[in-house]
Order: sequence, then structure tokens, then C-alpha cells
Amino acid sequence: MGNFLKSAKFRIIVCILALLVGVMIYALTMGGYTISTVGVFRSIAAPFQRASNAISSRVEYILEVYSNARENYEQNRALRSEINELQQQLADQEVLEAELERMEAYTGILEQHKEITYSAPCEVIGYLANDPFGAFMIDAGTADGLALYQPIVNAEGLIGVITEIGTDTATVTTILSPELSVAVYCSTTKDQGVLTGSVALAMEGKCRLQYLDKDTILSENKAIVTSGENGLFPKGYTVGYVQEVGMDETGLTAYAVIEPAADLAHLDMVMAITDHEGKEESR
Amino acid sequence: MNRSETRRYWLLQTVQWLVFAVMIFISFLAETSGSFVKPLLLIPLALCISSHTGELQATAVGMISGLLLDIACGKLLGYNAVWLVICCVAVSLLYSYYLREKLLNMLLLTAVCATVQGYLDFLFYYAIWGHDDVMLVYTRIILPSGILTVLSAIPLYFIVKKLCTACGSRRNFELEKTIIRNS
Repeated sequence: MGNFLKSAKFRIIVCILALLVGVMIYALTMGGYTISTVGVFRSIAAPFQRASNAISSRVEYILEVYSNARENYEQNRALRSEINELQQQLADQEVLEAELERMEAYTGILEQHKEITYSAPCEVIGYLANDPFGAFMIDAGTADGLALYQPIVNAEGLIGVITEIGTDTATVTTILSPELSVAVYCSTTKDQGVLTGSVALAMEGKCRLQYLDKDTILSENKAIVTSGENGLFPKGYTVGYVQEVGMDETGLTAYAVIEPAADLAHLDMVMAITDHEGKEESR
Repeated sequence: MNRSETRRYWLLQTVQWLVFAVMIFISFLAETSGSFVKPLLLIPLALCISSHTGELQATAVGMISGLLLDIACGKLLGYNAVWLVICCVAVSLLYSYYLREKLLNMLLLTAVCATVQGYLDFLFYYAIWGHDDVMLVYTRIILPSGILTVLSAIPLYFIVKKLCTACGSRRNFELEKTIIRNS
């Protein structure tokens, strides 16, 4: 063992470790831009990741369906045979309808927000391993006109922002992350606040709307939309719906728990907002 | 070793390393699939491979697996690679001089490596930023993932061992040689 520390092998290993530390420092200085070698690797791995993610999503879906079926077995027993028969007939039609609905939803948001410029739909190629805030990778990067800190949305609402970008791939941090703060307001009561993530709520797939007026009249199921105040997000974009309202520990402001409009754990297609009214060139 | 035996040996070695490369890539893909908590398969796989190879090969395996782990977890490039290189070299040396080829040894080494990796991950990526309820990340994500990582070492250990035996690259363990010599 003592000989190993004096050997050439040991010196080579120390050199490799020093090289890795150098890579770390270099990656730190990139400020959100992916190192080109990693970008190339991600581009090569993307089709495999997409396939693997599709398999995983399918398995997850089957397991969910199975567990729900068990829970509801007693309630649904009488209706099941009839439903199965109808489902058989409707199966193909449903697939087509779902696809059509998705495309209509995208067309819908394009129509609804004419002042906003969207990128082409980007596919989610995979989630980051064990990220508590559901960060994920998409198959588009600077080559597709995307840039750092661009908002990511889908037909349901705001999802997050691009926090790391390469030529062909980008990493998206979701609104569940405490690193992200979005100025928002309630579309009906006009209550204003700041939406941010919290560790505890992220575990349940929810986020927190804070700094609300303590006399807020906000109530359950009210829609929360972006206020567009910092110029990073367009105004009037749906973020989520109020689940519960409470008072902060300080008693000076109120808070609300928000359920994101988009299903952040099962994303397949998203779009980036490349330009919008009132956009500021941030950073 | 005559010429045909030498050729056969190198062919088997090539096959073995190709299979290792495929296993590493599949483990990487598994880590980026789905949004649920999953084991970090690259850790036990790199350690299992290192237990059957020399220090330099272990360094290469640790570096590649670590860099892939950084990409899969969205961490700073090189962050997991440094730790995994240290672990892989240590495992290779321990198996050369002190440890016998037992599943329990591999489970313990995986547990140590995964625990330290999980703790460092928790410390640098969550705890020092002072988020509220940060322990939830540890109890609900890092700890279950660590346990799954250790458990995943069981099938990986047997697969790697079987492959190395089949390809005739079983190492000469100093400790085992000494035991055999003394008996």
C-alpha cells in the first residue's frame, strides 16, 4: 500500500483529480451556459433519454392506473364491465382526441396571447435525478433561439425558467424552486404578492404566494396570474390556483398555497416565451 | 499464454469493457427518467467495476461515472466526479490489499460512498442556502435514494462479478493469495 503512494499511478490519479477540480472551476465561470463538450454529449444522449423517459412515464402511468383502480374497485365494480366495453370502442378515438386537444391548446395559447412570441414546442427529454423541485431538460437550446432566463410555459400555464443552456438542450428550473420568485396577482380580487417555492410545499407539488395584504379577500380556487412587473415574465399568464389562505407567522402579511396550473411532474411538451411586451433584457 | 489464448483474452477483455460501457450508459439513462425518487445506479456500478480492476482503470470508471452523474443530477460538472474517483481508487486498493470479495463488503463501501455523497449534496445544494424545512429534502429524497442506491448494489455486484468471471479477468487479491498461501 505504501508503495502505491510513491508510484507513478498515484501521480496520474492526483493529476486527474486536479483536472476535475479545474473542470469544476471552469464550469462555475460559465454562468449558466453548458460546457460545449457536455452539450455535445447531451445532444447525443437526448434520443436515448427521450426513449427511456417515455418507457418510465408509461410504467409510472400503468402503476398509477393500477393503484387507483384498486382504491376505487368497490365503487366501480358495478359500472366496470360497461365502462370497459365503451373504453374498448373509444380507445383509438381517445388517443386521437388527446392529440387534437393538445394541439388545440397550443393553438389556443398562441391565439390568446398574441403579444407574446413563443418558440416551437420543445420536448421534455428527462427530469434531473432526485431534484426536489422537479427541474427538467428540454430538447432545445441556443440553436433554436432560446436564451437563459426565458420563461417556460405549456397550455395550462407558467412552468419555470431556463437556468442552464447549451446549443441543443436546456435545463428548466420550475416555479416549485425557492430560487425563483414571480410577481403575481389574483385575476379576480387583484391581490398582489410574490410566488416562490418552498421545500415543504414542493414535496406536495405546490408553491407559496407570500407578501399578501393581511386583509386579503383571496379564497380557494381563485386563479393567480403573472403581473409582469420585473419584465422577466409576460403579464396575465396563468400560474396556478389558490388552495388555502393563511396568516404569516409575523402576522403582518398573509400567504396562500398555490397549486400550479401545469402538472409539473408529468410534462411532455413545453414552449419558451422568446419575446413579450415589457420585456427587459435581464442580466 | 500462446497466441490464440492471448487473442481470446483480449477479445474477452474488449467485450467486458463494452458491456461495462453499456451498463454505465443505461444507468445514466435510468437516472434521467421519471420525476420520482430513484437510486443513483452509477455509484454502486462504478464501485463494483472498480473492485475488479486496477487503480488506473478505477480512476477512469470513477471519472466517467461521476461526470455522467453530474449531468444527470444537474450538478456542477466535476463535483460528483472528484468524489467518485476517490471512492473508486480507494475501493480498488482496498480489494487489492485488505478486503475479500464479499457482497457485504461491497454493500458497506456503497453505503459509505452514497452517504457521504448524499450529505455533501444536501450540504452544498440545500442546507447552506437556508431554505425553510430543508431537512425534508434529506428525509424524503436523499435518504430514500441512498437506501435504494445501496440495495441496487446487490444485483449490480452479482452481474459485474459474473461478467468478470466469464471474461476471465478475476483479479489476484493479495489478501486471498496470502490466505491460500498460509493454508
